[in-house]
Amino acid sequence: MPADSVLPPAESVATPEVLPPPEKHVGVGGAILGAVPWIDKTGAVGGVFRAIRSLFGGMKITGGYLMRPSTVVTQQYPENRETLKLPDRFRAQLAFNHDENGYHKCTLCRICEEACPNVSIIITGREKPAVSKKELDSFVWRLDSCTFCNTCVIVCPFNVLRFDGTFESSVYDRRLLSYTLNQYAGPVASVLEKMEDPEARKAAMEARDPYSGAAIIAALIEKQKATKIAERAAREAAKASRVAAKAAAAAAAAAAQPEPPPEAEDVG
Amino acid sequence: MSWPVKTIAERTGDLLPGSPWTAALYVLLTILAVTAFMTVTGLVLIYAERKIAAHFQCRLGPMRVGWHGVLQTIADALKLLLKEDIVPRDADALLHILAPVLSFAGMLLVMIALPMSPSLQVADMNIGVLYVTAVSGLGVLGILLGGWSSNNKWSLLGAMRAGAQIISYEVSATLALLVVVLFSGTLQLSGIVQSQEAGWWIWRAHGCGIVAFAIFLIAGTAEINRTPFDLAEGESELTAGFHTEYSGLRFSFFFLSEFLNMFVLAAMTSTLFLGGWMPLHIGHFTVFNGVMDIIPPGLWFTFKTTGMIFLIMWFRWTFPRLRVDQLMRLEWKILLPIGFVNLFVSAACVVTGCYFFAR
Repeated sequence: MPADSVLPPAESVATPEVLPPPEKHVGVGGAILGAVPWIDKTGAVGGVFRAIRSLFGGMKITGGYLMRPSTVVTQQYPENRETLKLPDRFRAQLAFNHDENGYHKCTLCRICEEACPNVSIIITGREKPAVSKKELDSFVWRLDSCTFCNTCVIVCPFNVLRFDGTFESSVYDRRLLSYTLNQYAGPVASVLEKMEDPEARKAAMEARDPYSGAAIIAALIEKQKATKIAERAAREAAKASRVAAKAAAAAAAAAAQPEPPPEAEDVG
Repeated sequence: MSWPVKTIAERTGDLLPGSPWTAALYVLLTILAVTAFMTVTGLVLIYAERKIAAHFQCRLGPMRVGWHGVLQTIADALKLLLKEDIVPRDADALLHILAPVLSFAGMLLVMIALPMSPSLQVADMNIGVLYVTAVSGLGVLGILLGGWSSNNKWSLLGAMRAGAQIISYEVSATLALLVVVLFSGTLQLSGIVQSQEAGWWIWRAHGCGIVAFAIFLIAGTAEINRTPFDLAEGESELTAGFHTEYSGLRFSFFFLSEFLNMFVLAAMTSTLFLGGWMPLHIGHFTVFNGVMDIIPPGLWFTFKTTGMIFLIMWFRWTFPRLRVDQLMRLEWKILLPIGFVNLFVSAACVVTGCYFFAR
């Protein structure tokens, strides 16, 4: 009875109405128990019957699962990739919400960056000369440190962020787990605006491949690595040419002098 | 219709005067057949358990190796064969090696007394029930040795739990078994089966049968250490209990004997209470009995045993594990008094001839 309802008359409070007992499911054990009225239903013997009843109840449930294969929840993942069903609120990757023209509404307010508990969001801005305000340069999201707490999505005042279900994000290099979310690999806006079919435009706006979002950090590291490899190759080439020159010099010396003096060994 | 029983041991005896070598070959073939039967039964049971367990829990179970995973058990068996057989440094090496063999031997020795059909029984002893009860006790010896020799406290705890549990429940199981012995008047297993020609003991004995059946099933489940009585393994408490330190082939021996013990329990239950290979007969209903006789006895045995195995699996994947004190209370305060009362009542029934189709 709700507390704010009108108070009942005093006499009805004095003689409270006896409610009928709630209708209970009666199993086999319950039927036996009901059939034997002299059993104390709360005592030890009644406890045995209640135990039997609950065991039968459990067996009924599991037996029901066995009989109905439709209750199986297992998904045969690599085979059913096309028909895979993921929960709506499954959080796999942070993504930007785009409007129908392919623009996002991020205003560089950095509330998500502040809210992120472990600095998984790193936002950099750049000057927007026309309006003397900053605009988004790169929105880096680090999957490797993200705890998928959803706080950034909740705090965003412009509804820019969302978690989507593209969960196949495993890579062999941890550095590839940094994503630049505002990265856009599709055609430029002038081309997009000429597209008549909105569906085609939407499709053209999708990112080209799962790794295209890898952040600048990773690209920089890759670049460094490439530079190092090139430098090493150059060093090795130089060394090889030096060795060749030395060999040629030695050969020339041997040809000029059949008996080389002991100082000749230090040459080179 | 009479059911002449001819065991493999008797056939070997027939062959012996003619040519000892033929008899020896026959024995050899029997040993091979029993081994093959046990292996195949074990593999099938493990696969069935995994599939049925999965569907009890809204899962699919093995699906990848072969059609619906039918080859999964074979792949697992191969994997176990190829694994390194580790004896821990501080373990008692001899006992550690002996334990799974003993556990397996106990089950194997029971297997030869099981009447699977009038023509398919390795040996038919006149003290069959006593023999089965005695020899199945070897299994607990294997478990105790396994836990003791591993030199690991969890293994020892598991083994001691198993010892206490099996010895306690042996009492109730034997009391339930004695009810059938009283009614059939024989200890011979084939004799017990033949005594059920007029009907199975589970319903012919005025309720005593079904009570004894329930007690035997509960106590038997406890004896083979399956959930809800799997305290000996207790995956969540003892990290697999007595066989924690076992790997490779020796672990598979424990594993296989566990599953075959389930088969043995189901076969014994169906032999004692559900008529074994005897078709479903109702007293003097000759036509009905004739129709039932069309199905051969071996198939009857298979159906009943399969049904019992399914029931035991159903128990396992439904019931929660008991605590040690609850386990002991169930045995000594509930099952044992009921078993004694049941034994006295059935003795009275036998003496007064007060049961269905008494001779």
